[in-house]
Amino acid sequence: MTLLSLQGICKTFRQGEIEVEALKNIDLDVDEGEFAALVGPSGSGKTTLLNIIGGLDAPTSGTAHLNGIDITRLKESQLSDFRLFQLGFIFQAYNLVPVLSALENVELIMILQGRPAKERRARAQHYLELVGLGREMNRRPSALSGGQQQRVAVARALACEPRLVLADEPTANLDSENASALLDIMHKLSREQKTTFIFSTHDPRVMERAERLIKLRDGRIESDAVVEQADRAVPA
Amino acid sequence: MPVNPSVFVFIAWRNIWRYPVRSLLTVFALAGGLVMVILYSVLVEGISRQMVDYATEMSTGHLQLHRRAFVDEQDLYATLPWSYLDAIETRLPDISAAPRLYAAGLASAQASSTGVLMKAVDAVREPMVTSVLSQVRSGTVDLGPASPSEEGLERHNVVVGTQLAKNLKLQVGSELILVTQAADGSIGNGLFRIAAILNPVDTAFDRTGVLMSIEAFQAMMYLQTGFHELAIKTRDTADLEISQAALDATVRRLTAEQPLDALGGAALVRNWREINPTISDMLELSRSMVIVMGFIIVGLASFGMLNTMLMAVHERTHEFGILLAIGMKSRWLMLMVLIESFFLALISALAGAVIGVWSGRYIQRHGIDFSGTMPDGYDWAGMSFEPVMRGHLEPAHVISACLIMTLVAMLSSLFPCWRTVRLKPAEVMR
Ligand SMILES: Nc1ncnc2c1ncn2[C@@H]1O[C@H](COP(=O)(O)OP(=O)(O)OP(=O)(O)O)[C@@H](O)[C@H]1O
Ligand SMILES: [Mg+2]
Repeated sequence: MTLLSLQGICKTFRQGEIEVEALKNIDLDVDEGEFAALVGPSGSGKTTLLNIIGGLDAPTSGTAHLNGIDITRLKESQLSDFRLFQLGFIFQAYNLVPVLSALENVELIMILQGRPAKERRARAQHYLELVGLGREMNRRPSALSGGQQQRVAVARALACEPRLVLADEPTANLDSENASALLDIMHKLSREQKTTFIFSTHDPRVMERAERLIKLRDGRIESDAVVEQADRAVPA
Repeated sequence: MPVNPSVFVFIAWRNIWRYPVRSLLTVFALAGGLVMVILYSVLVEGISRQMVDYATEMSTGHLQLHRRAFVDEQDLYATLPWSYLDAIETRLPDISAAPRLYAAGLASAQASSTGVLMKAVDAVREPMVTSVLSQVRSGTVDLGPASPSEEGLERHNVVVGTQLAKNLKLQVGSELILVTQAADGSIGNGLFRIAAILNPVDTAFDRTGVLMSIEAFQAMMYLQTGFHELAIKTRDTADLEISQAALDATVRRLTAEQPLDALGGAALVRNWREINPTISDMLELSRSMVIVMGFIIVGLASFGMLNTMLMAVHERTHEFGILLAIGMKSRWLMLMVLIESFFLALISALAGAVIGVWSGRYIQRHGIDFSGTMPDGYDWAGMSFEPVMRGHLEPAHVISACLIMTLVAMLSSLFPCWRTVRLKPAEVMR
């Protein structure tokens, strides 16, 4: 079933006299449960596209339906509720609130959602265990490695069961080993929870793990292909 | 689903301790400002109360009764009959009254002579109204007859102020001749002995005043008809207006029963504020100065707050961007920053109040001693003060100072707060 449907998305940035066409007429459908990678050279429009899907930025034209709702028509306050209840975000780095422990960081979104204390505590612990941080739950971000911090961000994004997780270069600040490990976790959880993922990356080793590769170039979709998964087992 | 705001309180509290040194410096600035305001108010309030005490305790009393002509022209003949004193004392048992008489004269001692103001008081009644007779620097206060002079002339004791004693080179036991124009037009004169020298209390009195008994005054002035002034002390200073009204009513009834002569004018009841309008104005002025100074000091100190919160908001731009992206509302962010400022202000207010009250109480108890630099005390608003400046800690002032500080500090954090509202996650995260 189609979860996300973009139609004729254009985005033009204006900086004084100069106009940059970051996205040119993007059409894209993403089904529920997909694990899709957005790839392309620097400046091709990956971040811009993810921001529009996430309701962080408005397109110049076009529509973006998520679950049947056109998010380009939502008001600011509706957008923030939409992000809070429907989406999970993982950014490149410094995802976490420094003064909160890993556990508190994961709980934060659920607090904002207004979930009962017991439930959110249990869920946060569960997801931190799933990303392999059962022992580090009470540490603050500064006492965690970059890879661990990103895993907390994954736990945070998934703990409130969003319909769609958006990740803009989640591995950009990690070495390849940590990057692979993070992708494995994301992939595994995506499978187990049937959560849809769209992530952008430069890293060929990360691309390898995607089930679908959407290539952007100069603001257009250059290619869009489902990757053969037969040769690769999903890690347990 | 409502969000429990305690989470923002929790995060704000943690954020304060993110840079403990910076937070503590902010608290120091604000608390230091508050301490300064409190101490300033302690000193001003202390001096004000000292002034009121001096004005009422030392010479004025709380209320005074005169004839209009005496107030306006120091008319020697504008007296109130002695029967008024008895009548007032019996009709208003709650007050103490002390009659006084005044006249100008020339005082000569061995070394030199000078113009003086003779003031006759009732040695029994005066101490019930003012403590002027207990401000003794040397000698013992005695206004009765003294031993005859070497030539065998009759003498009375008088009491003078420090400055007059200095000017005329008088000591306890010295002789003083007073010459004046008596009420009947003749030249009145008398020989007196200095029984005591008083501490400087009232600058004018200290330079020119000579205190004597009413009997001695009457003998020299031939003025038996009455008194010039009735100084009155009420039980409760808080009810000054009520006591004034009561006295006024009594005096009005008295004048109806025992009419006064036409020349001296009506009887006039005034309170100490009306008698010393400059002191009263000064008090008002210095109290409003405390408020102005308070706002200035606290305003300056809260620039520290402004700076801290601007930095805090600035360095958390990325963090705020993330929070906005994951669904935090910007008004919650603003609330968080406000709570953080409020915590800083609250800690500062508590610290400043504790230190301020503690040191204010020290000043109240021990005073600030200037006797090293000003052994004779200091003059202010026509009054002489002891060289020890006493503070007075007024709890209401501490509370309003804390409130002002918190308010100004919160105002100065509004601008940083407002900045969080304008954050756009997509721009912040680039
Ligand atoms: N706020 C903006 N103002 C002006 N131009 C912008 C803005 N954001 C993006 N652009 C431009 O839009 C184009 C696409 O940028 P975008 O950040 O989406 O690329 P990207 O694919 O994410 O690149 P990278 O891999 O380097 O992150 C670039 O040419 C960029 O300069
Ligand atoms: Mg990018």
